[in-house]
Amino acid sequence: MKSTKFTELTQEQIDRKWWEIGDFFRRNSLWMLMYCTGCCAIELPPAMTSAYDMERLGMGPMATPRQADVLLVTGYLSLKTLRRLIYTYEQMSEPKYIVGFGSCTINGGIYHDSHVVINRLDRYVPVDVYVAGCMPNTEAVMNGFVDLMDLIKSKKADGWKRYHDNYDWYKKNQEEALGEVRIKDEFHE
Amino acid sequence: MILNILFGLGVALFGFVLQTALGGINRKVIARLQKRYGPKWYQEFLDIFKLLSKRATSHGWIFDFGVIMALGGIIATAMFMPITNELVAFDGYDNFFIFVYLIAVGMLGMAMSASGSGNPLASIGVMRALTTMLAYEVPFMVVVLTIINITGDSSISMIAEFQQLANNHWFIIALPLGGIVAILALMGMLGKKPFETYIAPAEIASGPMVEYGGKQLGMLFIMHEITVFIEVSLFVHLFLGGAENIFVFLVKYVLVYTFVNLISNVNGRFKIDQVVTFFYKWPLLLAVSQAIIAIYLGWVI
Amino acid sequence: MANLELIIIITLGFGMLAYLLGNLHRTLGSVITILGSAFVFGSLAMYGYTDTLDLTVNYLPGVLGDLGASALSHYFALLVSFVYLMVAFFNPYYIDKQKYPALYSMLYLLSLVGVIGLFYTTNFLAFFFYFELVVWSSLFLIPLGRTRSSASLYYGFSAFGGFSLLVAILLMYSGTESFNIALNLAALSGTTKVFVFLLMMISALSKLGAFPLHIWLPNVLTDAPDPVTGLFSGGLEKLGAFVAVIALVRLGGVGTMISALNIHLFNYIIMILGAITIVIGTLMAIRQDDAKTLLAYSSMSNGGYILVALGFMTTTSISGGLLHIFAHAIASTSAFLAIGAVARQTHTTKISELGGMIHKMPITYMVYLIAIISMAGIPPMGGFISKWLIFQGVISEGFIFVAIATFFGSIGSFLYVFRPLAALFLGQELPEYKTSVKEAPLLLLIPMLLLSGLNILSGVVPNYILRYTNKILSELNIAQLNLTQFTIQGNNGDLHPLLIASMFGIGVFVAFIIFISLKKSKKVDLMDTYTAGNFIYTEQHLHYTSNFYAPLERLYEAYIDKMQRFYQSLSIKVKELGEVFKYYFFTYKPEITVFWILILITLLLWGDIA
Repeated sequence: MKSTKFTELTQEQIDRKWWEIGDFFRRNSLWMLMYCTGCCAIELPPAMTSAYDMERLGMGPMATPRQADVLLVTGYLSLKTLRRLIYTYEQMSEPKYIVGFGSCTINGGIYHDSHVVINRLDRYVPVDVYVAGCMPNTEAVMNGFVDLMDLIKSKKADGWKRYHDNYDWYKKNQEEALGEVRIKDEFHE
Repeated sequence: MILNILFGLGVALFGFVLQTALGGINRKVIARLQKRYGPKWYQEFLDIFKLLSKRATSHGWIFDFGVIMALGGIIATAMFMPITNELVAFDGYDNFFIFVYLIAVGMLGMAMSASGSGNPLASIGVMRALTTMLAYEVPFMVVVLTIINITGDSSISMIAEFQQLANNHWFIIALPLGGIVAILALMGMLGKKPFETYIAPAEIASGPMVEYGGKQLGMLFIMHEITVFIEVSLFVHLFLGGAENIFVFLVKYVLVYTFVNLISNVNGRFKIDQVVTFFYKWPLLLAVSQAIIAIYLGWVI
Repeated sequence: MANLELIIIITLGFGMLAYLLGNLHRTLGSVITILGSAFVFGSLAMYGYTDTLDLTVNYLPGVLGDLGASALSHYFALLVSFVYLMVAFFNPYYIDKQKYPALYSMLYLLSLVGVIGLFYTTNFLAFFFYFELVVWSSLFLIPLGRTRSSASLYYGFSAFGGFSLLVAILLMYSGTESFNIALNLAALSGTTKVFVFLLMMISALSKLGAFPLHIWLPNVLTDAPDPVTGLFSGGLEKLGAFVAVIALVRLGGVGTMISALNIHLFNYIIMILGAITIVIGTLMAIRQDDAKTLLAYSSMSNGGYILVALGFMTTTSISGGLLHIFAHAIASTSAFLAIGAVARQTHTTKISELGGMIHKMPITYMVYLIAIISMAGIPPMGGFISKWLIFQGVISEGFIFVAIATFFGSIGSFLYVFRPLAALFLGQELPEYKTSVKEAPLLLLIPMLLLSGLNILSGVVPNYILRYTNKILSELNIAQLNLTQFTIQGNNGDLHPLLIASMFGIGVFVAFIIFISLKKSKKVDLMDTYTAGNFIYTEQHLHYTSNFYAPLERLYEAYIDKMQRFYQSLSIKVKELGEVFKYYFFTYKPEITVFWILILITLLLWGDIA
């Protein structure tokens, strides 16, 4: 006879419980990989040091994509750097998140009419949080990180899943812009 | 025997919890030193459990096997570590050399796994780690030779008791030159600045850890915490007179780790050949003169 | 019934058979080497086990028949014949490369005969004869490999060692009018003892490849055929250790007593030489590119450990030394065989040309891993126990400078043994080996796995071996090591190897449970690594092999050049001396020859005339 007190959980429910516990850890310990190609990167030093101290949110800089949870894209992306961004993003271990900085990642910003700069980052890789402004001030950056943590809590930061599900669409956009994503070894040939 | 094994595993778990908590507290201490607020005190636990919850990438069987061997070796080493005079899992077998050489199995596992990832930066990191080890280990071993020669016993808990019986004449006071060498060697062992050359995140992308993420990195973090526990408690037992009860141990442990961490955080980083020349210059000289003074002249304060 | 004499004669017969059959078919001769060495090891093991070695001699002529059994000779003979047997399994696979396969097989067994005779003889003249037999037969094994020059180097050093042994024997003979080993050693005293000690140590050092006489070792071990390399490192070098045991331990302290250190002067000098050997071997091994040369320097450094251990004259260090002879023979043979197996598949032993062999040769990799864990003195392998015992001696006697060398060598060994592991077996899998390389054939794997098993066994239950070395200690009138069933009692604390090994097992088990209970990882390619966002498709660019310890090497490079220059100029001087001798003694001019013959006759008749 089955106990009435404890209803048997299905595998799916157990997985969800584990996932929620995992989410608690993940949102409180976000390790960043900083892809500093644009001018917004200048906002990161004050965010990290004693003025705003992002370590109190449990965030910290990491050296390689394998270790990192969140990829910071700080500003405009030229076609040359975009392919490297995609390569780096694909090397990160899941779950992974992207934060886009400044108007450049939203609509191209002041480089919107340049032929070598992409306008909408979201067409190539899934962005979870944008921090608007040209450039955003440090409070906005910190706010963006808190937003990301809230999104993880409410399970809305699912960019990595979207990337899986709509991989063909992303791939098509990437190839339209770049020709081919992975190119030849240009440093050694 | 089963009880002893369970107790040994308990020591390893205790070491992990203690050092992880202390690591978080020390991050806060350092943050205050830099006029920041700092993370939560349990931040290190969050980091480790987050890593364990992620989906990792693997570079083949040796990559995984090395991590298992690393953590296994370190857990095995920690099982022999005495906490107080009475709290020893395997009484009489806590030989000093076990700690020096069994810890090397863990290190070898990690090095193997890192090289197995196929990333040259990892190999560079391992190379630097081994070179650093060659640098700090020799002066340290000479100092420990002096201690074992004086006490006539290489069991860690017996050395600690020896100091307690001699009216708490701790070896850091009795052998002052050796004490200085031991602190420097401890900083090398823990990979604290200025001997942090083999991690060097800005230079070789965190060295051996470059390819790890997810559970492998989480297990290496656990391994690292237990390693720090072993090395710091080795120092406490050898030089600070061990501990009669667990509170004394905790106080000494926390003080030593925090002290080393504070020194480390106001330092820059050495180049790898500077590390070697540093350790083979002053610390070795101090260690040898301490050994001559203590063994042949018999001048022990 | 078979006895020791028959073992020697039958092995000689096997040697002849190998030559005859080897002429018919090359592989057949090498199979005979397996059978022959298996016969020697098997019969020695059997008689050793039942403790009934028959020593009656009927056929061996003259002094060669003076045979006697002791625990010491048994220990060495069993060890070395086991190494011979293990290496013999490699012979059929490498025989194709030999110019004279039949000769190779015969010489292989002939040197085994020499080794057995050397260990069991009780007569110094026979001792010298067997010593030279080993030198000559092994001498012709070397040039069957890469070059000839290293063979002449080996001959030079061996001849030096052999002749100093002969001089020592004659010195002793002049005192006692007898060649009996035990009698001669007991009768020695005063200055003669010092001279005999030094001369015998010269021959031991030259055979062991220790500091001033180490030049031949790396050259020979690099150039010799791959199986012979393992033989030299695991077997023939141990002849030097045997001579060292006779000279250091059986002669006791030599020279004036240094009261501050509580040791005799010449023993201390030998220990200092051992310490220098350890340091030089370690430093040179770190910077080698050829895996065989690297392991050769490592066996040089381990030879230094043996010298240091035997120099102490305390129970722990001598049993440590004897165990180290065993542990190192097993470990270095298996390491050399693993490298040999790789060389067979890839035709190179240069670390910088290899990479990622683990993916194709996982068993060879595990064999090498176990071997280096033992060589680096890490538990749970045999090398740890022997190094621990040696450290016991070093620490309780408080020899600081020797201690620095031993610690340096033991940490330094992590550095050099890791190099082939990281660059040859691990790292990127190079494209040229992706398709062509397979795991070594079964017949090669058998000896490697046996040796690995012995490596582990000697680290987990070393007491079986230590009980045997205790017998040797009681023969040599030294207090025995205190052993219980599983623990070893040192000067300052006990060791429980089985406990350490099982705790390691439990630790790995716990880690394994943690590992598999977590989410499965995604398998990625070796080339899919962090490259700071760059696209790199060439394996060589992501494979860090050459100049591995460059920052460390830079610190002592200048001194090595100086030492090499010294040895080069020394060799030029020796060559010039040789030219002088050649000019005056070995000419084709008959008048000079007649002149020397006359001088010789005059000298011989001098006593009668005067």
